[in-house]
Amino acid sequence: MDLEDDTTVLTTLKSFNSFISGSEPPQLLSEHSAGNTHLQSRFKRSMELLEAAEKVQSKNRYLQLDQEKKQMELSHKRARYELERAASDRARDLEHEVDRRQDLLGRIKKLEERETEEAKNLSEQVEGNRSLRKNLDGLNRNLEERDTRLNTANQTISSLKDEIRELKQKIQNQDSTVSAQTLENQELQEQLDLQRRKHQEVSLLCQSLQAAQTTCSEHIIKIKELERRLALQEQDFAIVKNIKSEVAKVPDLEKDLKRLREDNAFLRESRENCSLLKEEVEGLRRKLERMEKTKEELVNMELEKERLLDKLKAWENIGQSTGLNIRKPEDLSREVIQMQQIEISLKEQNYTLNSRVRSVEHSQSELRAELSQQRGKALEEQKKREAQDALVRRLQKRVLLLTKERDGMRAILESYDSELAPTEYSPQLGKRLREAEDVLQRTQSHNAEMEGQLTKAQEETGTLKLQLQTVQLELESLKKQQASASDGNTLATKEEVNILRQKIEDLEAERQRLEEQNNILEMRLERHNLQGDYDPVKTRVLHFKMNPTAVAKQQRHQDVDGLREEVARLRELVRSLQDGGAAVRLQDDAGAHAAGLGLSLPPSKEVLDLRKQMESSELRNQRLKEVFQRKIQEFRTVCYVLTGYQIDITTENQYRLTSVYGEHMDDSLLFKKGSNGSMQLMETEFSKTLGEMVALHLHHQKSMPAFLSAVTLDLFSRQTAI
Amino acid sequence: MTSTLKGITLKGSAELVADFFSFGINSILYQRGIYPPETFTRVTHYDMSLQLTTDPKLKTYLTNVVSQLKEWLFECSVQKFVLVITCLETNEVLERWQFDIECDKSAKEISAPREKSIKTIQDEIRSVIRQVTATVTFLPLLETPCAFDLLVYTDKDLMVPEKWEESGPQIIDQSEEVRLRSFTTSIHKVNSMVAYKRTDSA
Repeated sequence: MDLEDDTTVLTTLKSFNSFISGSEPPQLLSEHSAGNTHLQSRFKRSMELLEAAEKVQSKNRYLQLDQEKKQMELSHKRARYELERAASDRARDLEHEVDRRQDLLGRIKKLEERETEEAKNLSEQVEGNRSLRKNLDGLNRNLEERDTRLNTANQTISSLKDEIRELKQKIQNQDSTVSAQTLENQELQEQLDLQRRKHQEVSLLCQSLQAAQTTCSEHIIKIKELERRLALQEQDFAIVKNIKSEVAKVPDLEKDLKRLREDNAFLRESRENCSLLKEEVEGLRRKLERMEKTKEELVNMELEKERLLDKLKAWENIGQSTGLNIRKPEDLSREVIQMQQIEISLKEQNYTLNSRVRSVEHSQSELRAELSQQRGKALEEQKKREAQDALVRRLQKRVLLLTKERDGMRAILESYDSELAPTEYSPQLGKRLREAEDVLQRTQSHNAEMEGQLTKAQEETGTLKLQLQTVQLELESLKKQQASASDGNTLATKEEVNILRQKIEDLEAERQRLEEQNNILEMRLERHNLQGDYDPVKTRVLHFKMNPTAVAKQQRHQDVDGLREEVARLRELVRSLQDGGAAVRLQDDAGAHAAGLGLSLPPSKEVLDLRKQMESSELRNQRLKEVFQRKIQEFRTVCYVLTGYQIDITTENQYRLTSVYGEHMDDSLLFKKGSNGSMQLMETEFSKTLGEMVALHLHHQKSMPAFLSAVTLDLFSRQTAI
Repeated sequence: MTSTLKGITLKGSAELVADFFSFGINSILYQRGIYPPETFTRVTHYDMSLQLTTDPKLKTYLTNVVSQLKEWLFECSVQKFVLVITCLETNEVLERWQFDIECDKSAKEISAPREKSIKTIQDEIRSVIRQVTATVTFLPLLETPCAFDLLVYTDKDLMVPEKWEESGPQIIDQSEEVRLRSFTTSIHKVNSMVAYKRTDSA
């Protein structure tokens, strides 16, 4: 575009220049043609070239623009075409959509119709269900009724069956009892016969017994008599013996008698002395008591004396302290008498004053009463006066009214008289007059009634006011009395009031306490009621005898007892097993407990077998031991006898040989067995004596048997020689 | 039986209360596990499902007690009805379900039926039994084998029937008490409460 602008600027410049050159060429040509024609031609040529270039450019551009325009038109067309296609596609789609929409709408309508139909079906079915349910409920109820009836029938049937069973059982029991009883009866009859026979025998025996008894009794009587005689004789014998012994004692007794008499006399004297002494003692004791009493009295008297002295001093001091002229008690009594007289006089004055006061009070009260009465009267008078005034006013008002009425009537009459002719309207006038008079009379009577009521009301108010005022006066009088009385009795009333207040407070406190107690007791009662407490006077607690708790407790006892028995049995078994014992006893026990224990059998059998095996093996061992011992003993004796040496094993690998021909008991040779199995001789006392032989046979010849035999021969020779 | 009648008579009220006790005791026995749960069967009553025992001995015992109780309810001579649960090992009372019965004695003289609908009575009974079931949550567990007993508090001047005997009140040593709901048939009023032995661990 700038190029275009430049070109336009240039073109305008060119045109301007060309114009200028065109207008002035003749002048210029004429004037400067020679000098400027070259430049002008060049300028013109350049300008023409420029114009041509511009034209070409513009044509090019025009062509370009045409082309562009065509392209644009083409693109437009294409775009339009495409748009149209798109539009057609869209229109087709729209039509499809519309068709679809219509289809969907149709479907929706169909579905809605179906829905309504279904709903109708549903409601119908629900109704059908409900009806069915009702039917079902009715049927269920019928069924339940039938079931209950059946149950009751079944229960009755079962109960009847139980009863039948019970009756049958009872019958059976009774039959059994009857049979048993008949059997018993027979048995008893047999027994009876036996008993009768026995009875006869017994009676025979009895008779014989009785006969024997009579003889026995006779014998017994005889025996008794004889015994009695014997006893009497023995007694006589004893008496005789005693008398003899006593006779022998007589001289001793006489001596004793004498002694006793002397003692008696002595004792009597001493008794008299004793009594005298006792009397003296009592006398002394009494004196002592009296002395003690007198001592006490003395002490008391001294105390009293001191007290009296103190009192006296005090009394004497009183005189000094009180300032009165008191030296003796008479002065004091005088003073006291004077004081008493003064007191009496004062009391008399007091009484007189009291009586005066009372009379004054009485007169005061009377005056007050009179005052109140007078006031009442005055008020009454006032009331009467007021009433009279009111009456007067009313009467005056009435008078005024009456005068007004009269004036009015007069005026009316005069008017009537002035207006009307004499005779024509007189009856009417008379009637009217009479009517007016009646009206008047009525009004007057009404008025009078009202006035009467008014007066009554006023009188009532007056009386009420009187009462009020009398009451007020009484109140005032009472207050004054109270005030006057309180001056004299303030303390008493205050005290009474205080006492009453305290009483009230105490009673209130008690009431609150009692209320709290009541609440607590009610709570306790409620609690006890909840816990199940009851009043034994009014209620009783019952329960079924065969109740589940009792049954369960019985069952538990039985279980416990059974368990205890089992435990005891098991303990015995265990003890028996532990002890072992004889196989027979075990077997017996096992057999006895087999039924009850069951499980214990197999183990006890095994145990028995094992025990048997053990015992047999032990026996075998023992026998073997015995056999070995015997054999060993035999062998050792044989060795001792044949070799002449007794070989003992002292300790491990040490052998002690004792020769049969040894001189001493402890002459022995000790041999030790080395680790490689060779025997070595140990040093002993005996071996020291055999040094030569040791050297010869052991060291030189290196032969133990030779040494041992040499020792034997040596000892033998020694023994036989000796 | 009484559903068709319009009012409650003394006899009908006694039957209702006896029924309630019968079902109530069964449900308590089931809930507390005194008898194994397999010995109980489910029945429908009072518009709810309840457990009823099938043990024949227990059934006969309950029918005996409840029938006698019905007679006494008709005579208005029962004051309380108690279910006592005892531990077999220590012979201690662990739980006590007490039902106080207040009888309107004027119903004995006046035989006119009272106006109260069966439905409300059944609703009240249902709520009581539901509450009994709910109390199991806070009652202490009964771990030892237990047995139960039924006690009846009657008037002192009542004649003791043949199979019954006098017993103690079997009060719990240290107890916690809880008051439950009550229901009334307008002639008989039944208050329920449960007392249980205080556990020292709590």
